[in-house]
Amino acid sequence: MTTDPNPKNDGNREEASLKVPSKDPKKKKDEKKEEDLSDEDLALKQQLELYVERVQDPDPGLQKVALESMRQEIRTSTSSMTSVPKPLKFLRPHYGTLKAYYETMNDSPEKKFLADILSVLALTMSAEGERESLKYRLSGSVGDIGSWGHEYVRNLAGEIAQEFAKRQMEEALVDDLMELVTQIVVFHLKHNAEPEAVDLLMEVEDLDTLVEHVDATNYKRTCLYLTSSASYLPGPDDMLVLDIAYMIYFKFEEYPSALRIALYLDNMQYVKQVFTSCDDPLHRKQFCYIIARHGVTFEIDEEITADEDEREVLQEIIYNTKLTEGYLTLARDIEVMEPKSPEDIYKVHLIDGRASAGASVDSARQNLAATFVNAFVNAGFGQDKLMTVPSEASSGGSTGSWLFKNKEHGKASAAASLGMILLWDVDSGLAQIDKYFHSNDNHVIAGALLGVGIVNCGIKNDCDPALALLGDYIDKEDSTVRIGAIMGLGLAYAGAQNEQIRKKLSPILGDAKAPLDVIAFTAISLGLIYVGSCNEEVAQAIIFALMDRSDSELGEPLTRLLPLGLGLLYLGKQESVEATSEVSKTFNEKIRKYCDMTLLSCAYAGTGNVLKVQQLLGQCAQHLEKGEIHQGPAVLGIAMVAMAEELGLEMAIRSLEHLLQYGEQNIRRAVPLALGLLCISNPKVNVMDTLSRLSHDTDSEVAMAAIISLGLIGAGTNNARIAGMLRNLSSYYYKEASLLFCVRIAQGLVHLGKGLLTLAPYHSDRFLLSPAALAGLVTFLHACLDMKSIILGKYHYVLYFLVLAMQPRMLMTVDENLKALSVPVRVGQAVDVVGQAGRPKTITGFQTHSTPVLLAAGDRAELATEKYIPLSPILEGFVILRENPEYREDR
Amino acid sequence: MPTVSVKWQKEVFPAVEIDTSQPPLVFKCQLYDLTGVPPERQKIMVKGGLLKDDADWSTVGVKEGQKLMMMGTADEIVKAPEKGPVFMEDLPEEEQVVAVGHTAGLFNLGNTCYMNSTLQCLHSVPELKSALLKYPHSGRSNELDQSSHLLTMATRDLFTDLDRNFKPVTPMHFLTVLRKKYPQFGQLHNGVYMQQDAEECWTQLLYTLSQSLKSPDSRENQETVKALFGIDLVSRVHCAESGEESSESESVYSLKCHISHEVNHLHEGLKHGLKSELEKVSPSLGRSAIYLKESRISDLPRYLTVQFVRFFWKRESNQKAKILRKVDYPLELDVYDLCSEELRKNLEGPRKILRDEESKKFGLKTSEKNTDSKENDVKMLDIEGSSNGGEPSTATNQEGVPSDKQAQFTGIYDLIAVLTHKGRSADSGHYVAWVKQDNGKWILYDDDNPTPQREEDITKLSGGGDWHMAYICMYKARVVSDMSSSSSTVGKSVDLSEAS
Repeated sequence: MTTDPNPKNDGNREEASLKVPSKDPKKKKDEKKEEDLSDEDLALKQQLELYVERVQDPDPGLQKVALESMRQEIRTSTSSMTSVPKPLKFLRPHYGTLKAYYETMNDSPEKKFLADILSVLALTMSAEGERESLKYRLSGSVGDIGSWGHEYVRNLAGEIAQEFAKRQMEEALVDDLMELVTQIVVFHLKHNAEPEAVDLLMEVEDLDTLVEHVDATNYKRTCLYLTSSASYLPGPDDMLVLDIAYMIYFKFEEYPSALRIALYLDNMQYVKQVFTSCDDPLHRKQFCYIIARHGVTFEIDEEITADEDEREVLQEIIYNTKLTEGYLTLARDIEVMEPKSPEDIYKVHLIDGRASAGASVDSARQNLAATFVNAFVNAGFGQDKLMTVPSEASSGGSTGSWLFKNKEHGKASAAASLGMILLWDVDSGLAQIDKYFHSNDNHVIAGALLGVGIVNCGIKNDCDPALALLGDYIDKEDSTVRIGAIMGLGLAYAGAQNEQIRKKLSPILGDAKAPLDVIAFTAISLGLIYVGSCNEEVAQAIIFALMDRSDSELGEPLTRLLPLGLGLLYLGKQESVEATSEVSKTFNEKIRKYCDMTLLSCAYAGTGNVLKVQQLLGQCAQHLEKGEIHQGPAVLGIAMVAMAEELGLEMAIRSLEHLLQYGEQNIRRAVPLALGLLCISNPKVNVMDTLSRLSHDTDSEVAMAAIISLGLIGAGTNNARIAGMLRNLSSYYYKEASLLFCVRIAQGLVHLGKGLLTLAPYHSDRFLLSPAALAGLVTFLHACLDMKSIILGKYHYVLYFLVLAMQPRMLMTVDENLKALSVPVRVGQAVDVVGQAGRPKTITGFQTHSTPVLLAAGDRAELATEKYIPLSPILEGFVILRENPEYREDR
Repeated sequence: MPTVSVKWQKEVFPAVEIDTSQPPLVFKCQLYDLTGVPPERQKIMVKGGLLKDDADWSTVGVKEGQKLMMMGTADEIVKAPEKGPVFMEDLPEEEQVVAVGHTAGLFNLGNTCYMNSTLQCLHSVPELKSALLKYPHSGRSNELDQSSHLLTMATRDLFTDLDRNFKPVTPMHFLTVLRKKYPQFGQLHNGVYMQQDAEECWTQLLYTLSQSLKSPDSRENQETVKALFGIDLVSRVHCAESGEESSESESVYSLKCHISHEVNHLHEGLKHGLKSELEKVSPSLGRSAIYLKESRISDLPRYLTVQFVRFFWKRESNQKAKILRKVDYPLELDVYDLCSEELRKNLEGPRKILRDEESKKFGLKTSEKNTDSKENDVKMLDIEGSSNGGEPSTATNQEGVPSDKQAQFTGIYDLIAVLTHKGRSADSGHYVAWVKQDNGKWILYDDDNPTPQREEDITKLSGGGDWHMAYICMYKARVVSDMSSSSSTVGKSVDLSEAS
């Protein structure tokens, strides 16, 4: 903690030992031990006593000399905080005397001088809360504050904070304090104590001045401290802090970092400002990659660049059209292009004894599970062993043959799985799905529509193929087809805030004849498209739809999607939800609380707001009469709010453990899902163990949720331990079709994209939260709250909501022409370096790979070569490398 | 006339001219030339909408150089197969049983695991099932009492229920009838039904069935249960003191495996069990003397039941104590040396056939490698023929009680069911049944919960710890058919048909 330079101490001791022999040559060293004090100390003590006496001398000349010498003594001895410096210790008995004398003195330079000394003495003497140090400092001479040492400054800063709070209460002036604050801040910033400077400014509510004081040497550390402290700050302060960080980055032209903060603040004005201020075309491309990963819509307009070609290139990056290319490059590099069949995932041969006996007859449920597993595992690879087998071999469509091995609504999921396999590859995806459009089976058409949505998920195109293709189907007769089209639109345009789609979908919500499931999926799709937008019109439409529901409809399991659709509109928007939650109080009591909880949890999702977590925990602590279901979303809400940062996350895991022990059944069912969300794609061992235990729970719904969550925490990790657990579960539950289905889904998730994908909505060093990704996860989890009637019923395609969160967990380096470039990088566990002195290592236990490379949860990468300079401070996703002009090949 | 570029899959067709005076169908025909996709299959996307065939170009608003996207393929349209697959979920419950691969479990009605496990073991005997099916629904024969009749009926109904369901069955009716017939099974202790000895249940049930399942036309050898389970023993009773010797014969339903310190293996235990000492009055000595009784099997059953005598009455503690000693038992039991001389002679022939067959099979396998493919094919046909020959024989076996003329015993038996006990005394602990299915898989019936098991684990139930230990083992005779020399054994026929 202390940065007090040691040499000072040493110098002091030397000086003292030099002095003493000259003053007291008679005393022998042997006698020292007889007394408590050594010779030197004794001499010093006497010396100081003499000074104290002299100070009280009426002769100003003598006074001045005495004060001067006293100051000399103190200054040369300021030391660490572990021991009180000798001069101060010896002056302690005289503090009262000096204070009393000070009061009697006339205004004179000497009085100020004495005030200075008293201020320092008060550092150790002043009673708690007296703030005498500050008092004498203010009346003393305004000198260099640092000359009294670091400890003194720190103490002073503390007293200022207290004094400031007091004066604010009394509404007194604080100008004199602010002057001092400025001095201290400058001192701190100069001495590598950025956190202290920031803390002090926050205390005195004057963070704005920070921008003036930071310089090129310390702005990075300052901003790092600002950004990481933001998650622990209450109310508007966190936004303010980030705002300051943005301004500092902006001032020092650290645009990529500024952009990250702009995205965090969801401030498109700032994003645009970054673009307009940065002229470097390569940097702009990098910005586009960051925005694309974040998954927000951003239009590159003439203001940003007048050059049409550049505009097109930039827009294309934001549209994510090259994502599939990069992903496949990664897959080829890691050599996992070979398609995998569900059997490769189940690995039945590793299960002893209990291999399912005689599967002579196809089970529709198991085939459906295989469909999903196949889709998840081969997601984005463009080839698999069930849906895309080459047509020559089939002679009459063997693709069709797997499709028709699924029953009724299962066919919808099967057809849609083709979209998942061709994820992000719009061109070939649409071509392959096309044939299903001409089927005479409504389920197949619905699947094809959904598939189009999935293929286009996160990818945009000027022609808007998804809207063009799906638009005509949303008003069809058959409700399966309608749901397919509506959900497809939701997936393809999540976060797009597309006015055209809103106009098409909103009327369905008001349609009295529309079936409930169509309305529910419409609400979700609108929620996804307008995620985090606080759009009034959509909110109104959903609210009216909710009010129009009859009593019996409100009891339906799918109705829960309506409040969720509403909640998604306010995802992470905190206070903006308040008006709507007022309205929700007027709802039918069957849905009122559910709606309340959903809105609250969505609005504060990803904020880490401790108060909201407590509020939600409070809801869960109640023991209710039968039939109320709002505690489920409350439990999920805890996870949604607390997932923001690591500390809160750990605490939430512990709180959930308590809920598990004391909670009612409906809470216990939600707890595994909440754990799944907290550790998504991040298999923490303790959570894994808890879920493994719960997967054998006597309540089958708890067990199902735990199994699905095992899949979620291991999603895309290929984690061998979870895979083993699931294999054992598959033999344990071989007879229970529903549980086995869940096990299969979880197995598919663990091997998501053969281990190249992640479901984590956080990216960019776990700083940015992609709203669409979180919305997809939350929708899926809400559907899981009533597993039996939704996922195990005929709405299993809600599993495809997960596609919103799927992202390659890769680092792909590209050169200035955006072509893949292989460079060595070090990948290791990220280390938290906030507030640490010097330039500490940011990763530990690293290995050197060459890009493209996979990044696990909590991993961080850094370039292992000086040859290139990355244009993004965070090496994740696509990173443009520029050649280092100063690089010299080592000979 | 604006020119546009059209993107189709990964291809881009630059500079396609649009004749705005013609309807879009003409444009689609242009694209047909380029891509080969028929116009009706083309979907052309213009800024979030589809281009309709009869749309007006001016409303569509195509600009010079605009990019259009076309979707569509000339691929075959997916058609549903004429005959859809059959799903397990759609099947009626009886057929789901087949798919699951084993029959249903039985609910425990309060300490009735002894009965459940007994029933599961006996249920695995197809001949018994078919005999029960033939049992007349009404009109019991006069010599049979009412309760025996009811118990037989209940057994029949329960067995059919077990075959028909794949969800656990509640044997309530059977239990009531059983308790009516044998009141000792209805004993209460502290107001709860007591745990009972499975062996007693087994014996009593078989006894009742043996009474009831006598064919009305009292021809010889029609006592079904006896034909299936009855073991004929001839004994030589010998008194060492007087030198007296007599012989007697008896029929039992199970062999006892006595467990003493020397017994480590089932075979030794059986030998022990066939020897006994008894004290009776010797007519020549005029007082009671020790007689040594040595028994030999004179007639083999189709199903050999072996009971491990694990429980004995401990007088001091006044309860049935259990011997935990480990006694190994084989999956394949040869009782040849327990047989009487005559029987051995009878067995010689069939045993030779069996040996030949086995060596032939072995020889076939070795020769296969040396012979060329043509010969191989012939041999393969042979196997098929033999397996086909085998199947009808099993079929006949299952239909009714096969007479010994069709199939001859070899003295070799295969383990098909094990009833085990876990716990320290006969009236406590837990009974479960381990039964081999027709497909060769083992299933553990733990009341209502059947779970598949590995064959290795079956032989691990031999005791010596607190794990389940075998109490009653049921072996099935391996027979050779007399009619054709190429016939296979019953036990093996299944394996063969699976292999081919």
